[in-house]
This record gives sequence, C-alpha cells and structure tokens, in this order.
Amino acid sequence: MGSLEEPTSATKSLECAKKVRPLVKEMYARAHEAKKQGRPVAYCMVMSQYDEILRAMDVTPIWTENYGGLCATKRDADRFLAKADAEGYSMFLCSYATTGIGFDALRRELEEIPADAPDGGMAEPDMLLGSSAMCDPRYKWYQALGRYKDTPIYNIDVVIPPVDAELGEIRDYYIKYQVEEIKGLVAFLEKATKKKMDWERLNEIIDLSEETNRLWRECHQLRKAIPCPMPAEDHFRTFVPGRFWLGTQEARDFYREMRDELKYRVENKIGVVPQEKYRLLWGGGLPPWHTMKLFNYFGALGAVFVRETAYIPYESVDIPPLVTHPLERLAYRAFGHFTYRYEGSRKGCGNPHVQLILDWLDEYKADGVVMHQVMTCRATTIGQTHHRQLIQKYVKLPVMFLESDIVDVRTYSEEQTRRQIDTFLELVDSYKTANGC
Amino acid sequence: MASRLAGVKELYENRIRRAEDLRLSGSKIIGYLCCFPPIELMTAIDLVPCRITGDIKEQVTRGDAYLETLMCPYIRSCFDLAVKGKYDFLDGLVVPHSCDSVQRIYDIWKYYAKPAYSHFIDVPHMTHTASIEFFKRELERFKQSLERYAQKEISPENLVQAIHLHNENRALLRELYRFRRHNPPLLSGVEATQILIAGMTLPAREYHELLKSIIPEVAARKELPGEEKPRILIYGSEIDDTGFIELIEQCGADIVMDDLCTGTRQFWHDVELGDDPLEALACHYLMKIPCPRTYKPRTGTHAEDLENRFGYLKEYATEFKVEGVILYIIRFCDTHGFDVPDVKDYFEAMGLPILYLEEDYAITAPERLRTQVRTFIDLIG
Ligand code: SF4
Ligand code: SF4
Repeated sequence: MGSLEEPTSATKSLECAKKVRPLVKEMYARAHEAKKQGRPVAYCMVMSQYDEILRAMDVTPIWTENYGGLCATKRDADRFLAKADAEGYSMFLCSYATTGIGFDALRRELEEIPADAPDGGMAEPDMLLGSSAMCDPRYKWYQALGRYKDTPIYNIDVVIPPVDAELGEIRDYYIKYQVEEIKGLVAFLEKATKKKMDWERLNEIIDLSEETNRLWRECHQLRKAIPCPMPAEDHFRTFVPGRFWLGTQEARDFYREMRDELKYRVENKIGVVPQEKYRLLWGGGLPPWHTMKLFNYFGALGAVFVRETAYIPYESVDIPPLVTHPLERLAYRAFGHFTYRYEGSRKGCGNPHVQLILDWLDEYKADGVVMHQVMTCRATTIGQTHHRQLIQKYVKLPVMFLESDIVDVRTYSEEQTRRQIDTFLELVDSYKTANGC
Repeated sequence: MASRLAGVKELYENRIRRAEDLRLSGSKIIGYLCCFPPIELMTAIDLVPCRITGDIKEQVTRGDAYLETLMCPYIRSCFDLAVKGKYDFLDGLVVPHSCDSVQRIYDIWKYYAKPAYSHFIDVPHMTHTASIEFFKRELERFKQSLERYAQKEISPENLVQAIHLHNENRALLRELYRFRRHNPPLLSGVEATQILIAGMTLPAREYHELLKSIIPEVAARKELPGEEKPRILIYGSEIDDTGFIELIEQCGADIVMDDLCTGTRQFWHDVELGDDPLEALACHYLMKIPCPRTYKPRTGTHAEDLENRFGYLKEYATEFKVEGVILYIIRFCDTHGFDVPDVKDYFEAMGLPILYLEEDYAITAPERLRTQVRTFIDLIG
C-alpha cells in the first residue's frame, strides 16, 4: 500500500520517491523562513534557465507552478480556481496560473494566507521572475498579479529556435540574446538584493547542476531494464529535485542515491509490478495531478510507464572550450537542450518530439504510448494528435489520449477514464500478439 | 461613377477568388498569420502578402483529424480551410511566434498543407534593448529566406519604398477611421471591417488606390442626416468576418472604434524610418503593436502599469466618443485572457460599461448573443 497521506496520489516504488514529499514541504518552509529572516524570496517559473542564478544570489525560490500541482494532489485547488473565476479569469487559462492567481487574490482579500493552504501556502514574494520559456502563461501570470501586489517583476525571454532553422545560421544570435536576457535578470537581482553576483560561485553551482543532470539522466537510462525498476508515478515525484532544487547539493545527492537504488533494483530484477505485462511511454502532456492514483490502475493491470517526455533532465551539450563565462554556459545549455534533436530528427521522421518517442519506444522496448490532453495547457497539448499520426506512421503501436487537466477536476470522470484504460490495454495486448511478442 | 464602397463588399466576399486570379496572372502569393510578419519585406520583393483568415460560418471538420479542440478556435478554423484546400492558391506560408497556438500550428500546417515555401519568424515576447537586436537578426533571416525563394535581392531602396507605401496605407486607414468620430459615424463597423479584411489580401499598391478612392465617398456623407446610437469600441483579437459586427449594429449600436489585431493594431502607428530599415521594422513590430502577447515591463504601481499598457485605449475612447466597450475574447486565448480583468478595470475606471464575451470563433447561438448585446445597449441608453 502506498502513502495514505494524500488520497489522490499514486503508490511509490522507490524508497527515494518517498523522500520527495518532505523536500516539497521543506521548499515552502524555507521560503517562509527566509521571509521571516528578511532574506529575498522570489516567485519563479521552471525551465527559465535561471535556477543557478538564484542559488548564487541566495534568493529563495517558490516555484509557483508546483504550488498548482500541490493543491491539485491535495484536492484543494477548487477554492483558488473559484476565486480566479470570480476575478474574471477564464477557466480555460492555464490552471497552474489560475490556482496561483486565486491564491494571491484570496491572500490579498483576507490579508493573510488562506486558512490551511497546502504546505502553509506560498510565502509573500519580494520579486516575481516570469519567463517566456515554453508558453505564454509564464509571463502573463505574473503580469496579472499586479492586481494584487506591487511586487517588482522581471520577465525574461527564453528563446526556442524553430525546428526548421539552420542551427549554424542562428546559433550565435540566439545564444547572444539568451545571455543578454539572463544578464538583465542578474542586474535586476543585484539591484533588488543589493548584492553583487559572484561569478565564480555561479560557475561552481553550474558544475553542480551539470553533475545533477548527469546523474538524473543515468537514472533514466537504468529504466531500460526489464522489468523496469521505476514507474512514471515515481518520475513525477522524483523530478522535484531536478526542477525545483537544481544547483543544490541536495539535488545532486538525491539523484546519486536514486541511481544507486535503481542499480540495485536492476541487478536484482526488482520490477514495479509483480508481472510486467505492458511497457508504456508517457508521450505528451503533464500529468493529472488531481488523480495520480490513476497510475496504480495501470499498474494493477500489469502496465508500467518506462519513460516520460515531461520534466526531463537537461541533455549534455557540447560547449566550445573557450566558453567559460557562466552566463554563456547557461545560454549554450538552453540552446543545446532545446535543439539537440533537431538535426537528427531531420534524418528520421522530421519531428524532434516524435523522433524522441520513436527512439525511446525502441530503446525502452515499449508497447504503447499515453498522452494527456490537458484542457488548460496549450503548450504541452497542441500537436498531440499530429504526433499520434506520425508515430503510427512509423510503428504499429496504439496511442491513447487521456482527457482531463493538471489541476481542474471539474470535467474529469474517473469511471470513464478507467474504461478507456481497459480498452487501451486490451488494444496493447492485441498489438503485442500481432507483432509476435 | 460606380460606388467604390459598394464594390468593397464584393471584394471582401470574393477576396479569395481575387487572390486566386492574381496568382493566375503570375503573382506569387504568400499567406501569413497574425499581424506580426513585416509585410513590407514581401512587398519589397514583389510577393503579395495575403493574411490568412478563418471562416466563422464554416464548421471545422477535416482539421479535427489533426488538431486538438482545446486551442485557439480561430487558428483551428484557418488550418481547417487550409487542409480543405481553400488556401491551395498560396505559394507560401509565413508564421510568426505570436502566441502558443500560432507557434505550434507552424509544423502541423507545413506537414499537412505542404506549402512550397514556408518560414517561421521568432518574435521575442520581451521588449528589452537586446530583444530588438535579436528580432532584427530574425528579420534579416526572414529577408534572406524570401530572397532565396524569390531568387532576387531586396535592395535597401526597395525596402524603404515598400515601407513608405505601407505607411501611406496606414495613414489612409487612419484618415478613414477618423470619419467614425462623427455622430453618427460616417463609416459603419461593417464597412470598416470589409475594407480591412479585403485590404489584407490585396497588393499594397492596389489597396492604396482603393483607399484613396473610398475616402472622398465617405467624406461626402457628411451632408446626410442620421440617427445617433450608442457608440461602441470593440476590444479583442481576430474579427475577420462581418457577421458579429453586423449583429451588434443591427441591435442598435454603432461600432466606432476597435483594438483588434485585424483592426487598428495593424495601422495605428507608422513604421518610423531611420538609417536602417530592418531596425525600423523590428522596432515597429515589437514595440508598436499593442497585442498582449508582447510584454511591457511594469513601471510603478498597478494603476501606473495599467496606464502604461492601456493608455492608448483612453485616447481611442476620448477621440471616438466611445460610450461602451465589448470585449470579444476568443476562448483558449491565454495572452488576451490574462489581460481581461486588467482591461476591464481600466475601462471601468473610465466609467465605460463593458460587455464581456468569451466566444468560440463561431456564432452558434445568435439569439443569445443578440439578447446579451441588446441588454447591454439598453444599459448604455
Ligand atoms: S506549460 Fe502549460 S501548465 Fe505549464 S505554465 Fe505553461 S500553460 Fe501552464
Ligand atoms: S486569438 Fe489569441 S490564441 Fe488565437 S491567434 Fe490570436 S493571440 Fe493567439
């Protein structure tokens, strides 16, 4: 049996995965503590390429998207969503954002953190650091918070090159722009914190996060084993250090321990379910945080998710030896992470995301793909239908769409979803038979 | 002499056929989405920029096989028309990074509609000094890509000339819009929409002639008496069909001004030419189009921030004697959606009543809409 602490959450396999919940609590507690001691606290967005910058400047981050997910797992997002609704924010806008906006609108109205907010609520930030990485809500959200707080805001551009661009033609000016954007943020932080950036320290922190990402990637490689030693439900927990603690010893140590645990499980053939019948890929969309126990249902039918396309570690990127300035390292990492599949995929199916899925289907010996059509997230949902067509052009495997949301349960039907999973797994079974497995 | 204004209606209705004819007569037509691709670059190399529009009256059918329903319904409609072959006459496709829906449609469109030429322009979301420099480099890449396609160069002179021509068209449109300041306005909302949408598919020179010939006709209406009705400003994104505008005007209001990306956002400001035409374009398209997809850094208090972001709306409202505002927001549009409460606050602070509509780029329930609009108009009095 898994933890009964959260009735919506999934059973964990790894011992490491069980250590994540305290880390999340700690994250919010540290922000409250920093606030109490008068140290700077910032609202932040994941993938904005500034994780190490914040660590080097001793700014305590609050990852506001995480708070949306947290409220969803606690099934305590409704009051925040309802508040955002009442304030005039459409229910179709990113529900991480509407949860966050609802929270801050309520805090403003009550003049205190809403009672019993999950994990003590988000501490009042001293600055809002938005970005354009991956989607529009990430910079619109903090702009909207101006209605509830006069907190200084700095939004940075995170640019992702078009897939058909010649990388050689654009690399220099994309990287230059990324450097300038992060530089602008550093200047903002220096002013806000009255502290100078220590570039050497920043370089060391980037080294640490490089090591963290390397270990994290190693963990995922180990999941190729049969039986798979770690399921998606664990991944959607254990990404927390990589996304919210990057640049800290805690994150690096976490993945080292996780790597060792996974190695042990692989060596001893310890799988996730007693009999691994189906191996699945999570091929698109963010998970339904409100009902993570859904993964148990897959597990009960002998299905294990062996890899996911969401919340993955940064790829290792070749950085020219002459590039030593930490801002350039960060910009190269961003450029490399976003584009490393571009050229390869042109030789394959032409679409970097689908090529990744096709490669993983092969490397991880997976039998089917599940994607989540998230009602309020354009960024991770648009393209899934096309991706399904493209996948099925290359391999004879079934692809299933879950339909719900990351936070909002109002349109979600558990019964219907379970029926859909039943049908899907029957299909996986028949494909397996037909493919002679 | 036949009325040119009457001809505009026909031009608007048959704009696709007109573009097809143009192509048959040897022009190369480049389709583009949103108002962010600098059309001056296309004009400068003798390509005809043709803004892709949806069809509010046509149900999305084939597009459903390739696209999710939980994205911008306007973009879905455009794409649906493309896979149904209605845009087969286009020689190319240009897509800017305006928002998540537009950015993500590019690859899908390329895959299923297979345009002979295609290009994606990465438009920064921020407006820092470095953003303009970056955007200029992106426009340089776009220029080179057009040059490769057309197999000739865009000379600085041709580009400057094209910028002048489009600026003249912008000035003519502003002149035309100023007839809407009259009470009653000399140009209806439906007519303005027809002119704008027809114009978006015409070669710049032709549009220029058309606008020049319309203006005296509209000016001559000064002599005619008319009934004064509540004066409405429409705020939102894409309205490329007269149906919705007509519905409002039939309910007894005059639409006298807009803040739409099919309306004033395209022409309220000129491209300010300096020494470097590409830089001028980068500054214009990044700084002068007041679309919520472009982030304006916050300055000062919330009230000051709203003034900084929406001050132009106060100017519009004053100049055009606006008495009420309709916010027409397309569902699933994050960029506009997050601005809605702020825009509402701002208009309310001006004492203007607001009707907020979140629509699916379809008039599925005209009766309901009519009732809402009528109630609103009664409120204005
Ligand atoms: S990626 Fe999706 S869920 Fe995440 S912030 Fe953007 S819109 Fe919201
Ligand atoms: S209406 Fe909104 S979502 Fe649709 S294209 Fe325009 S900005 Fe994008």
